[in-house]
Amino acid sequence: MKILIIDDDYIVAKSCQRILEAEGMRIYVADTMETGQKLLASESSAPFDLILTDIKMPGRDGFDMIHEAKKKYPDIPILMMTGYLTTETIEKGRRLGADNYIAKPFTPEELTAAVVKTTSRHIGETR
Amino acid sequence: MCFSLKKIHSLRFKLIISLMVVALFIGLISVLVGGNLLYRSVIAEANNRIQQDLNVARLIFDDRINNIRLSLKIAAFVSDHNNESFSTDSLSVSRVAKEQLDQLKLDFTGITDAGGRVLYRYGSNGSEKMPVLTRNPLVLRALESQQDVAGVIVLEPEQLQAEDLQTLSTTDNGTSYFDKASLLMGAAVPVFTGGKLSGVVYGGMLLNKNTGIVDKIGETVFKNETYKGRNVGTATIFHKDLRISTSVKNSSGNRAVGTLASPEVTQHVLNEGKKWGDRAKVLDDWYITAYEPITDISGNRVGMLYVGVLEAKYSDLRKNAIAVFAGITIAGVACAIVLGWMFTGRIMRPVTNLIRASAEIAKGNFSPKIGAISKDDIGLLQKEFLIMTEALKEREKRQKVESEIQLIQSENQASVGKLAAGVAHEINNPLTAVLTFTHLILRRDDLADEVRSDLETVASQTERVRKIVKSLLDFSRQTAIAPEPTNINRLIEDSVGLMRNQALLKDVDLLFIKKKELPALTLDRNQCQSVLINLIINALDATPPGGKIEILTQETDLKEDRGLEIIIADTGSGISPDHMDKLFDPFFTTKEVGKGTGLGLAVTAGIIERHGGTIKVRSKPGAGTTFVIWLPHQMNSGFSNGGIDYESKA
Repeated sequence: MKILIIDDDYIVAKSCQRILEAEGMRIYVADTMETGQKLLASESSAPFDLILTDIKMPGRDGFDMIHEAKKKYPDIPILMMTGYLTTETIEKGRRLGADNYIAKPFTPEELTAAVVKTTSRHIGETR
Repeated sequence: MCFSLKKIHSLRFKLIISLMVVALFIGLISVLVGGNLLYRSVIAEANNRIQQDLNVARLIFDDRINNIRLSLKIAAFVSDHNNESFSTDSLSVSRVAKEQLDQLKLDFTGITDAGGRVLYRYGSNGSEKMPVLTRNPLVLRALESQQDVAGVIVLEPEQLQAEDLQTLSTTDNGTSYFDKASLLMGAAVPVFTGGKLSGVVYGGMLLNKNTGIVDKIGETVFKNETYKGRNVGTATIFHKDLRISTSVKNSSGNRAVGTLASPEVTQHVLNEGKKWGDRAKVLDDWYITAYEPITDISGNRVGMLYVGVLEAKYSDLRKNAIAVFAGITIAGVACAIVLGWMFTGRIMRPVTNLIRASAEIAKGNFSPKIGAISKDDIGLLQKEFLIMTEALKEREKRQKVESEIQLIQSENQASVGKLAAGVAHEINNPLTAVLTFTHLILRRDDLADEVRSDLETVASQTERVRKIVKSLLDFSRQTAIAPEPTNINRLIEDSVGLMRNQALLKDVDLLFIKKKELPALTLDRNQCQSVLINLIINALDATPPGGKIEILTQETDLKEDRGLEIIIADTGSGISPDHMDKLFDPFFTTKEVGKGTGLGLAVTAGIIERHGGTIKVRSKPGAGTTFVIWLPHQMNSGFSNGGIDYESKA
């Protein structure tokens, strides 16, 4: 499974990477939305199975990321994560195309479960 | 217009009007009854008096006749005494007798012999052919009866001429009385010589145009009293119905001789011979009158004697009386107005003050001046008013304090919310790393037990931090509710279901007394469920084993909003009164450190408020706590009208 992680906080991105790599996933990390977009474009021959994106980032934020990604790659499921989870955030993310959300902080098990659930649900839905 | 209407409807105006009406009513009654009674009694009295006056007039009239008779008698006696008075020759009538008769100053006098032949006539210059036979009824009657005869006679014109009355023969308007018969008074006295009738001495006065008698009556009876330049009392001698001698004046001020009596009076007095005593119109004026017939010596009704007083004098009396009464009435009304004004002023002043004070209270001044306390019923009102003012002042003060507390609370909540949001966001990233790496390390198999145990402590404490931050976030999520139509019964059942096991473990009876047919409420199901769970957890914590938690619902309207109450009552330890007002403060907890964040009730209250509802708590230490959540049927758009209510029964 090939996953793109976008988070401006390096240690968070690293945490996620460690958890998911432990599950045998291939992880690509971007620290800005723009980097994430580039990675998405460059890897278009072998598309990602999931985009895991933080919401609050300097410059263009996670919502932009979701919006752009969904426009160009509607088939890639998106899991958003945030340290400030509010109903508005969830609603806005959903409206822009996010498939699921997870609140920071989380345990490795919680993240793994959320990733698995999001990808499988998405597959189930598209089928 | 508005102002005057207000005045008209004012208490003062009504009171004054009432007093005025009473005064006017009494005054009017006095004017009508008093004026009339007075007038009637005065008129009655006047009528009475006029009858007496008529009697006096009659006396004067008769007296005058009698005087004539006596004078003639004296003259006759003198003549008799001289014994030379009578002979058949007119020229032989003694000088003494002639002088005697002349001195009587009668209109006519004369001497006849026993055969009725006139021997002498007053005023006669002797050119007349003497002797002539007299036809004077007085003389004829005296000769016939050989007695004194006195009274009234009517003489035909030729007789008048015979008596030599031409000197008095013209009226004011130039016509002669002697065109018609005239009325006279007189007497005839027989003279005896040696016991034998030798002649008659006679004399009398013409009543026509004779003002002596009527003026004498005016003088004696009415004392020539005048009213408004006119004689009050009048007297008249009528020949038949013709005024021949009167003190009544016509409009030009002359004596109204020659005018006629009213037919009514003539009929009554002259024709029927009765007395008249009533008001009657004399010429142009009304008089209170009395008439009686005059009869001549033969007993024929030949004229009338009249006296009368001007009615104007008496009717003016009534007018004056009415004027006086009216004056008194007006004075009474004026008194009523002044008294009413003063009186109502005294009564109304405290009331006016109270009205002004009430207006001031409405404006927010709770210490208005109401003036001195009256000693009457108004005083009671004033005292009650002061008590009320004090109570209002107290309540206002309390409400101010309460609203200040609420303001501070909501400010606290808002700032805590902002802080929480910031803190949570910043803390969550490092916390993710701590949690992740701790758990990743814990996955390793090669850890010494000691290290694993320590790491597990790190993990659990990090979990604790996560919970605190999550509570903070829940608390700070001020606007995040997602309302949807919700079945309240199912919501409560689900919440109770989630807590059932814990209740069983603690041996607490958790009961939901379900009511059918509750309306669906629009609310955020998840948040409301967390509210219910939070309250049930609190109740479970406070309730000892064997206790009971009851949840029930009831439909209640708050002010004008329809709504529903969810009541959660436990039989637990209750809340200390000291803690009541801090209950919903963030971070206030009575639980042991680490067991509660102190945000539960603050979050709960926040959620209820954002639904436009209220949360109330009633508690008595040792007797349990009851939370009452009220939620509106229709959620209002704003979240500001919610509130927290504390009811402590210490």
